[in-house]
Amino acid sequence: MFNVQCLTLQNDVQQVPQLAQFVDEVCEAAGLDTATAMKLNLAVEEAVVNVMNYAYPPGTVGNVSIKAEVHDNQLEFTITDSGIPFDPTSQQEADTTLSAEERPIGGLGIHLVRTIMDSISYERIDGNNTLRLIKTIKN
Amino acid sequence: MKTTIEEKNGDLVASFEGRLDTAASVQTAKDIEPLNACNGQDIILDCTLLEYISSSGLRLFLTVLKNVKAKGGKVFVKGLNNELKSVFAMTGFINLFEFKE
Repeated sequence: MFNVQCLTLQNDVQQVPQLAQFVDEVCEAAGLDTATAMKLNLAVEEAVVNVMNYAYPPGTVGNVSIKAEVHDNQLEFTITDSGIPFDPTSQQEADTTLSAEERPIGGLGIHLVRTIMDSISYERIDGNNTLRLIKTIKN
Repeated sequence: MKTTIEEKNGDLVASFEGRLDTAASVQTAKDIEPLNACNGQDIILDCTLLEYISSSGLRLFLTVLKNVKAKGGKVFVKGLNNELKSVFAMTGFINLFEFKE
């Protein structure tokens, strides 16, 4: 059974609520429980917001597309943009063992994506950044 | 996303209601300014009605914690539901704050 849904947003974090609605609809169609849906919302938001913040030069409008596919026992989100080459999987993760005084303010986003998703892969294809996030789901 | 701040028994209580996603965090950052201006008081972040938080919201909480600790106060997080507790655990934030039910 193949099921694909797509959404395109601009690089504007105020559009995140539209992303949330999209992810909720995908999760509901896939029969996922609310705890899993919430974690997927979080991982997808973090990955998409990274694109919104870093892929395009400041002041430029750019698109980010999110495709969701369910096949076999996997839910896959593919996040695509045509911005500058940016591989979030090579970003340094937050050190979650540091104390409050030592913790830098950033670095949480990619850590959450890695913790929540079962696999992440990045490719640069034809001038596009393509990030695939996969979660194994029970049927 | 609605944020209210009030004083209770000498503590400053900030109550969060709704989804604190990246979009909402822009306004929430402004709404919690009074917390960063406090003077050694203890702060309670009441998350009983908080449904969701992403890294930008966590970052706001961390900024409050750093500011308040520097002034000798404490920050308590109250009323986290199980899903939010798991987000705090994933990010190590469970070790940074004190918690009340």
